[in-house]
Amino acid sequence: MTAIFRLESRKRVRSSTVLVAVFALLSALYFSMFPGIQDEMDVFEEAFPEYMFELFGIEAIHTVEGFIAAEIYAFFWVLLVAIYFAYIGAGLIASDIQNRTMDLTLSNPVSRESVVLQKVAALWVPLVALNVGVSIIVYVGALVIGESFDPVSLAMAHLLSVPYLLVCAGIGLVLSVLIDHVRTARATALSIVFALWLVDSVSSVDPEYEWIGDLAPSRYYDPTAILVREEYALLDAGILLAVFLVLVAIAVFVFTRRDI
Amino acid sequence: MSAIRITDLTKRYGEIAANDGISFAVGRGEIFGYLGPNGAGKTTTIRLLLGLIKPTSGTAKLLGADIRDRRALTAAKADLGYLPDTLGFEERLTGREALDYFSRMRGDERRDELLELFDPPLEQRIETYSAGNQRMLGIVQAFMHDPTVAILDEPTAGLDPLKQDRMHAFLEAERDAGKTIFFSSHVLSEVQRVCDRVGIIREGKLVALEDINDLLERGGKEVRVQLTESVDERAFVTEQMIDVETVDSTVRFTYTGEAAALLDHLVRFEIDDVDIGDPQLDDIFKHYYGDETPSEGR
Repeated sequence: MTAIFRLESRKRVRSSTVLVAVFALLSALYFSMFPGIQDEMDVFEEAFPEYMFELFGIEAIHTVEGFIAAEIYAFFWVLLVAIYFAYIGAGLIASDIQNRTMDLTLSNPVSRESVVLQKVAALWVPLVALNVGVSIIVYVGALVIGESFDPVSLAMAHLLSVPYLLVCAGIGLVLSVLIDHVRTARATALSIVFALWLVDSVSSVDPEYEWIGDLAPSRYYDPTAILVREEYALLDAGILLAVFLVLVAIAVFVFTRRDI
Repeated sequence: MSAIRITDLTKRYGEIAANDGISFAVGRGEIFGYLGPNGAGKTTTIRLLLGLIKPTSGTAKLLGADIRDRRALTAAKADLGYLPDTLGFEERLTGREALDYFSRMRGDERRDELLELFDPPLEQRIETYSAGNQRMLGIVQAFMHDPTVAILDEPTAGLDPLKQDRMHAFLEAERDAGKTIFFSSHVLSEVQRVCDRVGIIREGKLVALEDINDLLERGGKEVRVQLTESVDERAFVTEQMIDVETVDSTVRFTYTGEAAALLDHLVRFEIDDVDIGDPQLDDIFKHYYGDETPSEGR
């Protein structure tokens, strides 16, 4: 039974392509800026207080790794792409219930568990498109301006982001089975993912409150550490993956028991 | 074994009982009309049968599968065709892609045959479809895997009269081939035309369950009498005449007694013309709903 999986995969193609194109534009912008402002970055690093850098996950901004990690990954990937996944997750079930597609879907000999799992599995499309597309764009972009990225750390920056993005989708999915109105589900999911990111960022400024950020998924994925220091937090990725599986299990549990 | 057996089925939303202790069975090879005005609880029964919502109490069996047993019900759905009242297709797909999608889940051995009767524009996206085209696509998907049981919720809504006739003829042919059709409608003439048996639901309760012919008989005879001159109503009208309307020398009424007694009564008057016929189901409906005619709008 792969009909739902195939249809859902197809539905993800367009927005994934658009997002890759957005990243291509962003990369073109930042890579073209980098040679011109590289020298000024030392000044920049001295001019701003430390917490500003911690707030936005910035270090070694005078290197291409540090610059791209700060500009593309620490913000756009960790927040924008995360919000995109939360948005998709929140639509998976709620939008079908709202427009009555779910009635027709469930008139087929397909279980509710299978419906949820096939829809989640279709997230492979944006995951593959974005990770493959953007890593190639960044790698080639660096070469074009005469710099280079370590392909291993670049690949790890993308690979270890997968569990993080899945957790964001999982947060959306749980809301999707709980909330009937798709717009409410999506807005709530976006707000939660944004709030968690903010909690992580702000709490990391003060060591006394840093533990609060342990609740935020973004605490377990640090692209700057991967790209600049080549630190691969495999355990953190494992934690995220486990949380994702728990979220999917919760969503299946709720969805199989509720009225539609 | 009945195709559908509903036993004391109840669904409450707070204080409101959308279905209140409904029981009936639909046999194989039967077209069962499930009749009632909008909001009476028809769709609730159907959604309970499909396992989309859970009963508050009571249960039902669809092709032998208890609706509370999710696994068994899912398996039974391979032999079920469903045409919902609100068609939730994936609007971005073309008609053909939507049928391909459903065929991957349950087959489509009768697709071509059905598309000759009902011909939505398959190459267009569903978002461009008229209500009639959506309904036709719905009919094709409901029957293309040759299901044993079809549950149809307001199946002819939006269809033009020609296609409605086709649908009725198609349903009769299916019934003759041994298929079971569960047909919900608020259009009485439609039910009168195609259904073998009818259940009438009102405010969540089943108020009648009868053979369509018995129902018509029970509804009495529709009589129009043209007298040669005006007549004293008190002398003419008997206890068995209801809904009496007199205009000049013409009297119309519904006669609830024996036909022979009516004829005996009529010969005592000077009469030009008499017309005795079966009543419209609408009129019978009045007995269940009072004077309030079921609304046609949605």
